[in-house]
Amino acid sequence: MNLKTKSKDVRKELFKFKTSTGIGHLASTLSCVDILTSLYLDDKTHFNHKHDYMIWSKAHGSPAVYPILADLGYFDKDELDKYCTPEGILKLHSDSSIPGCHFVGGSLGNGIGYASGVAHTTDKEVYVMLGDAELYEGSVWESLMFISHNNLNNMKLIVDRNGMGILGKTEELLGIEPLKDKFESFGFIVHVVDGHDFDDMRNVFSSDEFKDSDKCHVVIANTIKGKGVSYMEDVWQYHTIIPKDEDLLKTAMEDLS
Amino acid sequence: MIAQRDIFFDTLFEYAKKDKDVYLIAADCGAKSLDRWRNELPDQFIYTGISEQHTINFAAGLASQGKKVYVYFMACWVARCFEQIRYSCAMAKNNITIVGTSVGLGYHPAGPAHEPTEDLAYMRSLCGLEIHSPCNNHMTKGLVDLSYRESKLRYVRLERTQPKGFEDLYMSFNDSFIENGIFNVKSKYNKSNKNIMILSSGYMLERADKLYQKMLDNNYNVALTDIWKLPIDYKYFESISKNYDILVTIEEQSLNGGFGSNVCEIVCDMDLNKQVIRIGLPNKYIFDNGSRDYILENNGFDLESMYNSIIGRLK
Repeated sequence: MNLKTKSKDVRKELFKFKTSTGIGHLASTLSCVDILTSLYLDDKTHFNHKHDYMIWSKAHGSPAVYPILADLGYFDKDELDKYCTPEGILKLHSDSSIPGCHFVGGSLGNGIGYASGVAHTTDKEVYVMLGDAELYEGSVWESLMFISHNNLNNMKLIVDRNGMGILGKTEELLGIEPLKDKFESFGFIVHVVDGHDFDDMRNVFSSDEFKDSDKCHVVIANTIKGKGVSYMEDVWQYHTIIPKDEDLLKTAMEDLS
Repeated sequence: MIAQRDIFFDTLFEYAKKDKDVYLIAADCGAKSLDRWRNELPDQFIYTGISEQHTINFAAGLASQGKKVYVYFMACWVARCFEQIRYSCAMAKNNITIVGTSVGLGYHPAGPAHEPTEDLAYMRSLCGLEIHSPCNNHMTKGLVDLSYRESKLRYVRLERTQPKGFEDLYMSFNDSFIENGIFNVKSKYNKSNKNIMILSSGYMLERADKLYQKMLDNNYNVALTDIWKLPIDYKYFESISKNYDILVTIEEQSLNGGFGSNVCEIVCDMDLNKQVIRIGLPNKYIFDNGSRDYILENNGFDLESMYNSIIGRLK
């Protein structure tokens, strides 16, 4: 499977159902599409969607996984066209009523703690998708302390480091760096990857160390908010704006083709 | 007397010994009974530190995997993790039992930060959550049995000090009784044309009992009722209160949305023709020094003040 082609298809689907309804956080979903493509669709990476958990702590980004779950047969593809409509099952924030999703979504800072409870009592791998601005939540750091102390090495924490919060760049709004040092000081093994480079992500997600470590791993995936749509990339105003002008829609479809 | 929290955790310990799915999570709150858990069931006893938000999320995650999870901390801190109780437990349907110790002014003179005097209001606003306020050790033990037997999101409010005169109440009861949540502790007919039911729970039953006696001495028809479960069961409440046209609620809470408010809602929603008189804490945070009883005496809960506030409002 050509992962680049696949991720473009996912973005295109995503862009279509987001712009047709005008609902949700398009830019935040576009940033994590390649991470999900790597985890779900690259056969070499360890994540096994049939066995492992993916907990969306950053649930406003979770619609990014819908086209992938549809591809994998969790629900019919026409559900994408019914996104956020009364007839459809797919929601702005994923929840456990959606096949392939495991937790209620919509309140930042909580998925990671919930995931630690799941991980404590299962031998499955528990992946958690965190947003970088979500790290402002103090509850995240309560959970990190607990996960590290209790050595929950079946947890894999992924930070979608698109560098932005709702009002701009994190380092201008309220700095969270040095992020790698912070995680390391808590006792985690930390990887920094290019969240749009499949080779780079595969090196981590498929490594023996990542699977069979005696410590919990954190992957800081550097990404671009709005990735794939030229005029949206790294423009913070698109956090809540979904393009609707014909020219913008046309440009985006050219970008994503 | 053994503290309610020790009765709770000793009783739960016996279940946990036989059932590895029972977990007790302590978020930095002590109890003598925890020693056994730490020493004999270390895999089922988890310390999460002073981190109430994480504690609830973690407990919800455990519960999602079929574990019977109990969380223990000071009752005042449920405010601190209200969002996690709402989101990770109530909304996500992960049932846990939250055991909060020292409700009302139980920690006085620690000050209002340690004293949950509005917790009934905010906790009962949550969908699907059941609140229990046991007055003595028998009821506490029964609630452990109930929570083990039937999975539900629960908040159990334990007293630091138990009301005098109620130690032998509920020495035995069946399963359905405890789920009723209401019991007429005593009543007497005095040939008055005023039928008054005094409703209270927990530590405040002791004061309610004194008021009951004074009402009797003044020839009213009176009943004293313990309500240990919120939300109150409408149908059962209607049945138990049918002979009384004046309801007096006594709570160690702000009157904004507490126990008395629940009674008002029932009277309103069921079109019951009854007068409700609510007695509660003043709408302020109390920083004054003094014992729990001293504070109560000076904030409207002395016998004369309670009695006069009722008599002055009787229709």
